[in-house]
Amino acid sequence: MKGYKPTSLLFVFCFLIVMSGCSPYTENNIVEEIAPVIFWSIKNDPNGQLSITTLVPPLIKETKQTFTLKVDLIKQGGKEFNLKYYRELKTGQLRMLFINKELAFKGIRTLINTLFTDPDVSSRLYIVIVDGDFEAYLKNQLSKQPSLDYFLYRMLKHYEKYNQGDMSIVNLHEFMKQLYSPFQDPILPVFKADKNNFTYEGTALFHGDKLKTTINNMDDQIFQLLGNDRYVKLLALPKQKLVLGRVRSKVEFRLDQTTKVLHVTDQINGRLEEYQGNKNLLNQSELSSLNKEVEVYLEHETTELLKNMQKEKVDPLQIGLLTTSPFFERMTSKEWKDQWENIKLDVHFSLKIQPVTTGNKM
Amino acid sequence: MIIVIIGIGFVSQLNLFILSKCWKSRFLKDGAEGISKLFGKRMIRLYAFIGLFFIFMKMAIFTIGYSDIMHQYIFPSINNNWLILFIFLTSLYLASKGMEKTFQFVVIVMLSTFWIIFVFIPFLFAPMSSIHDLYPLIPNDPSLFSWKGVLLIWSSLSGPEYLIFLKPWLTHDKRQFMYFTIGNMISVLEYLLLFIAAILFFGSNYLSKTLYPTIDMIKYLQSPVFERMEIIVISVYLFYIVFALALFLLFFYGLSRLALAKWNLQTTRKGYLFCAAVILSSFLIFYNFLWKFSYKGFWGLDLEIALSSLSYLIIPIILWIAIKRKEDV
Repeated sequence: MKGYKPTSLLFVFCFLIVMSGCSPYTENNIVEEIAPVIFWSIKNDPNGQLSITTLVPPLIKETKQTFTLKVDLIKQGGKEFNLKYYRELKTGQLRMLFINKELAFKGIRTLINTLFTDPDVSSRLYIVIVDGDFEAYLKNQLSKQPSLDYFLYRMLKHYEKYNQGDMSIVNLHEFMKQLYSPFQDPILPVFKADKNNFTYEGTALFHGDKLKTTINNMDDQIFQLLGNDRYVKLLALPKQKLVLGRVRSKVEFRLDQTTKVLHVTDQINGRLEEYQGNKNLLNQSELSSLNKEVEVYLEHETTELLKNMQKEKVDPLQIGLLTTSPFFERMTSKEWKDQWENIKLDVHFSLKIQPVTTGNKM
Repeated sequence: MIIVIIGIGFVSQLNLFILSKCWKSRFLKDGAEGISKLFGKRMIRLYAFIGLFFIFMKMAIFTIGYSDIMHQYIFPSINNNWLILFIFLTSLYLASKGMEKTFQFVVIVMLSTFWIIFVFIPFLFAPMSSIHDLYPLIPNDPSLFSWKGVLLIWSSLSGPEYLIFLKPWLTHDKRQFMYFTIGNMISVLEYLLLFIAAILFFGSNYLSKTLYPTIDMIKYLQSPVFERMEIIVISVYLFYIVFALALFLLFFYGLSRLALAKWNLQTTRKGYLFCAAVILSSFLIFYNFLWKFSYKGFWGLDLEIALSSLSYLIIPIILWIAIKRKEDV
């Protein structure tokens, strides 16, 4: 029996090699011959086709170039790139998907589904809506910033990891969950692109898979406080001439089903980081009057934001989930949408500012 | 559904109580000899024939289901027949070491797969999940209640009934019922955890649209070193699959000897290999001509669920009745 041991070990070893993909039956994954795709940028074309762009080659020392193709189907894009580039494109490293805003207005369900069913694509793929000409930005920026695609990925990754409330970052799985949930509408970040800039603009609110409206500036900050991160690193209030830092919000939504009123109470804690107004903040009464002013302003803005959501019939804050209860049947998605429009709002903010500045007035 | 899982756990507990009663009986100690005293030789042959079918279905669904997952997530371009062959050969090797070695392997299986349960705990506290996703706890709508779901959970708890056939190799312990209870509790808790985590992660609507939710969940996990966690977890499950398959392979061989009335003769390598060849070729036929074409609405899955539910329900009861009748006489 002892003499068989080396032979059987050799057999096991052969099996292991065959199993681990060195067999003639697997796909070609030789590093020198493939080019991993890091992002797709997809926009619609006037004549009904899709225009799909990516950057090749990633990660090796070769001048990068943008490739753009006009195709009818998304996967067809992947196929046709291979016909004009000497490396084979692989989607295993796909990290970002940039979708043009016009395309998002038409609905992106099939687009997302195609990527979702690809076993190579991770569900941590970031989805971003782009307003403007992203290809022009790519072409222009590429000369200054060779690993542009990687930097964009790091940026999204950073803001996802440290939920600072600066950006709403959404990945494929979160989008899918929101898309299929009967009581929640998906959100995506919107970036504005032109030849020289690529900047975060705000949050896109969807109804189903169609873009409805985008919110930006003040509205987006409030949206971060209410739902997304419940934390904003810097809350700038230009009208009150002050900036609050490290703002933490403790939101409570209470939906009164009989009177159809949504009570929103939000406790906000923050440091006063900058003040350019002319109140003496060392004086307690002036400080509390400023406090009141900010509260009223935030209440007003929040009510406006929620009203806007009601008008557009979108519910990205999962208010609909409040109608569910442990022992009663859920209402249908449509019933909720009809109800959501007519719900009255009652918003209360209570603000706790820690004054860390000395008074501006001497 | 949470209530259903807990309820079925209780019923299973009752079933295990009966099983532990049977366990104490002296008939089981002698293996096939003892059981044949209970039922008579003619009946044993009939039962063995039926049992062959039960065990074959269980093995087939186990292996093909697992190789299908492997195919879909790890080796999309390799031919699935190869995967089935490799899994089968591994368990054939394990089973050839004999019954004792095979179920000693359970220690390795336990150590290498038990940690997977803990992987799902972070999903309970994920920021995007809300407790409202679980509501309503008790669905009032009768159309949502499905017998198939109940059967699925019941069949997932099945398996302990096969322990009876291992009795001759196991030590005789008084605390058998306690061990059964612990095992049952762990299984029920595991299913509860998986169910709740999956609902929180996907939400109920999206959950019904995914084919392998637990693997998709593992896929979502991230580690700084290794990105595709699901590859590790799926591969680790191979230990479990190989163990179960090897055990059933031995059962199959034993039962076929019973069915052909050859159980007084010594076991032979030729017979064992013939048995294995029959099983492997039936797997491949099963996969290539039945499974491949009717993927999701496949009757084989339903049949397997029904069969293992049935075996879990009736084996303890039949044995118990038989033992009671013999002991009265």
